[in-house]
Amino acid sequence: MPRLVEHRIQFPYKRSLGPVFGAFMTALVERKILGIRNGNKVLAPPLEWDPQTGEELAPDFVEVGPAGTVTNWTWVPEPTEQHPLDRSFAFACIQLDGAHNSMIHAVDAGTMDAMSAGMRVAPRWRAERIGKINDIECFVPGEDPEIPEGDTGEAPEEPVTMMEYFASITYRNPVSENAERAGAAGKEKRLLGQQCPVCARIYAGGRGYCPIDAVELTPEHDVDLPQRGVVSNYTIVTPVQYPGQTETEAFARVMIRLDGVDVVLGYQGLIDVPVAEIHPGIRVAAMWASEAEREDDGGRSMISGLVGWIPTGEPDDTSPDLLNKVL
Amino acid sequence: MRNDTDIAIVSWATTPMVRQTGNTETQLLLHAITDALEPVGLTRADVDFTCAGSCDYISGATFSFVGNLDAIGAWPPKRDSHVEMDGAWAMYEAWLRLHHGDIEIAVVTGSGRSSTANPALIYPMEMDPYYLAPLGVDPLTFAALQARALIDAGKITERDMAEVAVRSRRDAKSNPHAQVTGNFDVDKLLEEDYVRAPLRRHDLPPITDGACAVVLATARRAEQLRERPAWITGLEHRTECHNPALRELTDSPSTRIAAEAAGIGDGPIDLAELQAAFTHEELLLREVLGLDDSVPVNQSGGALAANPIMATGLVRISEAARHIVEGDKQRTLAHSTSGPCLQQNLVCILEGDS
Repeated sequence: MPRLVEHRIQFPYKRSLGPVFGAFMTALVERKILGIRNGNKVLAPPLEWDPQTGEELAPDFVEVGPAGTVTNWTWVPEPTEQHPLDRSFAFACIQLDGAHNSMIHAVDAGTMDAMSAGMRVAPRWRAERIGKINDIECFVPGEDPEIPEGDTGEAPEEPVTMMEYFASITYRNPVSENAERAGAAGKEKRLLGQQCPVCARIYAGGRGYCPIDAVELTPEHDVDLPQRGVVSNYTIVTPVQYPGQTETEAFARVMIRLDGVDVVLGYQGLIDVPVAEIHPGIRVAAMWASEAEREDDGGRSMISGLVGWIPTGEPDDTSPDLLNKVL
Repeated sequence: MRNDTDIAIVSWATTPMVRQTGNTETQLLLHAITDALEPVGLTRADVDFTCAGSCDYISGATFSFVGNLDAIGAWPPKRDSHVEMDGAWAMYEAWLRLHHGDIEIAVVTGSGRSSTANPALIYPMEMDPYYLAPLGVDPLTFAALQARALIDAGKITERDMAEVAVRSRRDAKSNPHAQVTGNFDVDKLLEEDYVRAPLRRHDLPPITDGACAVVLATARRAEQLRERPAWITGLEHRTECHNPALRELTDSPSTRIAAEAAGIGDGPIDLAELQAAFTHEELLLREVLGLDDSVPVNQSGGALAANPIMATGLVRISEAARHIVEGDKQRTLAHSTSGPCLQQNLVCILEGDS
């Protein structure tokens, strides 16, 4: 089994709610649950359209619940970090009084034996309500909602129009043998490439396949790449301050065409050149981290230990075809 | 006699189905595609169109399907597409594309490494973002609610469900790609604790890494490549409302409508491969499709024996095709599903020349 590298992806979503979800979420802040009229029936929680026909529904809201009847349920013995409760609980379909359909929510029933179809439940309201389905912490057995002491159920100052949802998943991916070898070569300040036995094209790093011929590249196809080249293209990134972005100033990423081989490295850093002075044709050499500086990046980068590319001071390469080479 | 516009499955291959593979998804596809092309003497250069089914959420990388293109061999340049769905839907797109009549060979893939992260944490993020995702409602919960709805309606029992598991695991013993196999006793299984009542461990699929590739050809080439191609005589899919709480969980109308549109009633079905990842789903699908006990279902062990998400449905199609190509069945049905509680369903009817 190869080494696994762990990484986490996070998406802090902000969703606009529109007139129907927005009205429902705003009402939750006031401790009210809204449904929407759909012909002679009431759909709760409300949707913008009839779930069967897709017909748009007029924003004609009706207050439902707060108590309701369990129509279906299952028991969650071990909650995940995404679940609303940190102890065993039920997920249930709950038909709120006045509604003609069920909604899914959690029921804090203590034990599985306390759950049954037909049981009556009522919401446990969260003290800090922000206009989100989780403003109902869960439902509890019985007819009476649980309301925090002193909670007056005041309307929010402004209607709720946006909803935040923070998504986070941790992944463990295998590091291929090729990526491991490329990483090991980088630690020796060598730039590893692989040459396809079919088409003779050379690829940098631990790619592991020739994408043209779809053959696997193995250690016998390894070649050492030259460590000098020329800036063939570049882009300047003006960082937007999204979560996780650590850059604050405009920075450049360049493509390096290596000398004597048909290899272009993408998304490389250029050292000691002001952004305004970057142009195709600058002659550069690889700059490696010292033993002390080298940070093990866990196999994420194709060329571990490569800090970036530094100008050699040679005259510019003025070949006209530099920009057109991308692979 | 076949028309020029008829399309057949001529070959297929799957990787080993395992709990956790050391191969990357690209490597899995590289092997599956090579192994699917070789038996019919094709190379990647013969392929006119490729369509892949995979999921960035599962692999944990944006545009991971672009990296997977390394397995396709895109030279000379190829027409290519991708669906963020099971490979069965990639096959639907390839089938439509071949109907244009200007190309002859397509390769379809489905691939997934479910071991990469915890499926219970990934799937809630794909649900209704307003009412379901913030509660973390996971696949086991949805499946359990549907199972209980069927039990409460008197359509099935927990014993029926355990019998599906026992039969699947027994049948899977002869499938070299199965992950969960063996002889089990229904009474013993029913003594086990619930994982999500009324579901026990045996009602659930395994977590599986794997990939599948299928080769499609139009009539002229299909007849050159195989003595007995598996002709696709019907291929349809339909969907239902996204929120299971708003559906009648004791029925699967989208399966029924897709099957009727695919021509299920035009002749007897000799064998079916259903993407039933949970035991109760097989029982519901059998009923909706009108498959009585005389029709063998999931002889491969089905999704209960190996569940490579994003390839599970395409594997069902390849298994149904295998029985046609090998000549032991005349008319088979494959089913694939997507979304919670059988939200979207695809039905494929395959026939051999008599």
